[in-house]
Amino acid sequence: MTEIVVIARLVPDLVEELEIATSGTALDLAWLRLIINEFDNHAIEQAIILKERSGATVTIISPEAEGVEDMLFTTAAKGADKLIKLTGVGEEKPTNLSMAQTLAEIIKEINPDLVLTGVQAHDDFTGDLAPQLADLLDMPYVGYISGISLGDGKATAYKEYPGGILAEMEIALPAVLGIQSSEEPPRYVAISKVRQMMNTASIEDRDAGVLETDSGVVIDRMYLPEVADRAEMLEGDEEEVASKLIAILQDLGLL
Amino acid sequence: MPEHNEYWGIPLDWGSPNILVYSVMFLAGAILIFRFYLRARLWWKIGRPEPRWNKLHLRFYNLIKYSIVQTRILRQKYPGIMHVALAWSFFIFFLGTALATINTHFYHFLTGLVFSLYKLTLDVFTVVFIVGALLAIYRRYITKPDRLTYQPQFTWSLILLIIIVLGGITTESLRLAVEQPANAAWSPAGYLIARAFLSTGASAAALTNWHLGIWLVHLLTVAFTIVTLPVGSLLHILTGPLNIFFSELDRPIGQLPPTPTDREGHPVYVSKLNELTWKQILNGDACTECGRCQDVCPAFGAGLPLNPKDLILGIREIFEDAKLSSNGNSFDKSLLENQKLNKEALWSCTTCAACLTECPVLVEHIDTIVELRRHLVIEGMIDPELQDALTNLGRYGNSFGQSPRKRAKWTQEIDPPVKDATREPVEYLWFVGDYASYNPALAEMTAKTAAVFNHAGLDFGVMHKGENHAGNDVRRVGEEGLFEMLVEKNLSALQRCQYQSIITTDPHTYNTLLNEYPFSEPQTILHYSELLAQLIKDGKLRFTNPLNYKVTYHDPCYLGRYNGIYDAPRYVIKATGCELVEMPRNRDLALCCGAGGGRIWMEEGKIQERPSESRIREAMELDGIQHFIVSCPKDITMYQDAVKTTGHESDLTVKDLIELVEEALEDSTY
Repeated sequence: MTEIVVIARLVPDLVEELEIATSGTALDLAWLRLIINEFDNHAIEQAIILKERSGATVTIISPEAEGVEDMLFTTAAKGADKLIKLTGVGEEKPTNLSMAQTLAEIIKEINPDLVLTGVQAHDDFTGDLAPQLADLLDMPYVGYISGISLGDGKATAYKEYPGGILAEMEIALPAVLGIQSSEEPPRYVAISKVRQMMNTASIEDRDAGVLETDSGVVIDRMYLPEVADRAEMLEGDEEEVASKLIAILQDLGLL
Repeated sequence: MPEHNEYWGIPLDWGSPNILVYSVMFLAGAILIFRFYLRARLWWKIGRPEPRWNKLHLRFYNLIKYSIVQTRILRQKYPGIMHVALAWSFFIFFLGTALATINTHFYHFLTGLVFSLYKLTLDVFTVVFIVGALLAIYRRYITKPDRLTYQPQFTWSLILLIIIVLGGITTESLRLAVEQPANAAWSPAGYLIARAFLSTGASAAALTNWHLGIWLVHLLTVAFTIVTLPVGSLLHILTGPLNIFFSELDRPIGQLPPTPTDREGHPVYVSKLNELTWKQILNGDACTECGRCQDVCPAFGAGLPLNPKDLILGIREIFEDAKLSSNGNSFDKSLLENQKLNKEALWSCTTCAACLTECPVLVEHIDTIVELRRHLVIEGMIDPELQDALTNLGRYGNSFGQSPRKRAKWTQEIDPPVKDATREPVEYLWFVGDYASYNPALAEMTAKTAAVFNHAGLDFGVMHKGENHAGNDVRRVGEEGLFEMLVEKNLSALQRCQYQSIITTDPHTYNTLLNEYPFSEPQTILHYSELLAQLIKDGKLRFTNPLNYKVTYHDPCYLGRYNGIYDAPRYVIKATGCELVEMPRNRDLALCCGAGGGRIWMEEGKIQERPSESRIREAMELDGIQHFIVSCPKDITMYQDAVKTTGHESDLTVKDLIELVEEALEDSTY
């Protein structure tokens, strides 16, 4: 049976208004609500699609955070088989390398054919969790994948390049893939199914151990985008606006 | 003295005609019962159990009201008169035959005046029948409304009935011609025909022979009709009253049943024939194919792939398929792959309840539609727009995908500040609803509502982020689990508040709070139109600026048809000094705006004319209407769009009830 591991992370929900902490270098976590990283959600969907297509055991691993249990039960309702929560992850974000080291230990025990995770997360500076993981597991890595089909000991992954070019690449398994989007949009899962999972599925807790939080990057200031006064509004009726526009374009030497 | 003459003109050397008549009729009756039993037992065999034997007095009351008096059928003039003319005359003929039998064998009473009146009644109803039959012929073969089913079995039924009745009146008039009894004038129609027979100069013997022949044809046609009843369109004579008798009595129409469970307590998400209850299968068999539901269905009218009549007949079709191959294992036929009953049809329903209101045999369309939708939701077979809305509702408690903290953002501009009912006691707790809270286009309306409440001196408050979407349409989409979650959240917020009454601005919210929320204590729940009417009556709202507008009013489905509130909004409109002109489709005939049942969250699909556009055109037909008045926030968005797309933006403005009230108050202390 194919073993698939998906790393799923919670990130700040941008629907809520973000506030900067008094330190001025971080978000105010008190007001934050977390939501599943959209790319990870696609990774989960891709794993479930592969499971439905050719059979697989899907394990979801998530660092603990507020609401992570609900998120994990939702993946179980979609079809995930095993749920693992990394405990002992503090509020301060660990480095991707340190997180990859912890995850690699757990993943080695599972001995998967495929490790999927979102290619990026909007609260991530470096976006290197998946490549770090691949390195530690001694597996190949490809990112920005938008479709996978599994073969015997290998996988074909699809990757979109700018300009509408689609690359199809063969990768020897086991491998780590960074998912940009799943083949189908993430499915809806009815609340009653999630609630049923809350009663029947179980989450395995794994201690994250000591995590490094100092990435060597120092944040000087964190701030919300500031309103700048750079736009020039062209006023008047259509004729006037058109002639002003032509004048500007001529000034710029474009006409 | 005239008296009932048994078997006049039937040769006595046939032995007792009784034996002939009773054996033919007994045999026909037995065949009918057996054939009907073969069909009916399958409802219970295939369908899930569902108790419908309680409240027998109400069931018999409904049987009389809907099956005998036929009040539903009489809602529409032409088909109503047509049907009761046919049905009531047959009730009379049936009764007449029964009385004649009693007279013959048990109690001899058909003599003298009683007999003459008896004859007159039968004669009059023969004419009534003929009028009904002519109306039916004209309708079926000349005017041919779209909603009817044009299949030979309907023609056959009509022919059989006409032969039976013409046979009856002809034998009667032949007897009158030969016998020429003293009370012949009590059968005016029969006597008129008798005179015609006499004018031919035929001998009494010839007429008596004709009588015998026609009498036999009459007898055999009756027997044939009875024998073939279970396979023809007259089956509804049996299934219609049964469906009426077993109709839902335990829930108002505004309350859907929870997801059913099987014997082990697992939820049943209906997608197969044998997952329906026996009553839902009976719905299919009871449908008379009159097409009244089709006529009033907003989805059908818009050209969407739903015809409520076909949907119900789809159940019958699937049932008949299963019955034909009834090796016992074919009852799990899918309910979603039929040409008439399928996913697209199910998602087109706005749950407006117009079909329920029209159906003469009380078919329960919406319960079945929602149960099938629950299966589609569980299987994740929903369109992306609906998926977004449900995901947002699950996460944020509103379909707009906005932060719950922003729910009461509109109150920031209001002076005096709107109370937070989760923090201090209020008399009126205003359950604002998603649209009024989050839709920027409605912010002004919501503010005006608050202003009017303040003007009337109401002590009111809102629940801020404690309020979640009430769930009415979440439930109707088929997301029962999400509905339950929203109910739990709202109930726990409401429990933290101190209030006397709940006011709602949204009829959908009103419906589910009133009919579906399991409050531990009785509640007073008001729609703002009811509250405004009360405030006007109590003198707390006095209008000093009478409006003199000519307006029309649109009844929201969940206020009108679902909860019977028609008068309060009309009272308020008139109190503001407006002249109210009704659209042809008003009160329980009102056309849905197209937004209900979760349709507002779904992809629109290929639509010919939106229900809201049809409605605006209906209003424009009225003479000199300035304002189209609504009392539901969703209606504002629906109809403002429709006014634009129909090009009537400059002729007609859509206004909420509250805007009229606010305007009529303008020159006073406000």
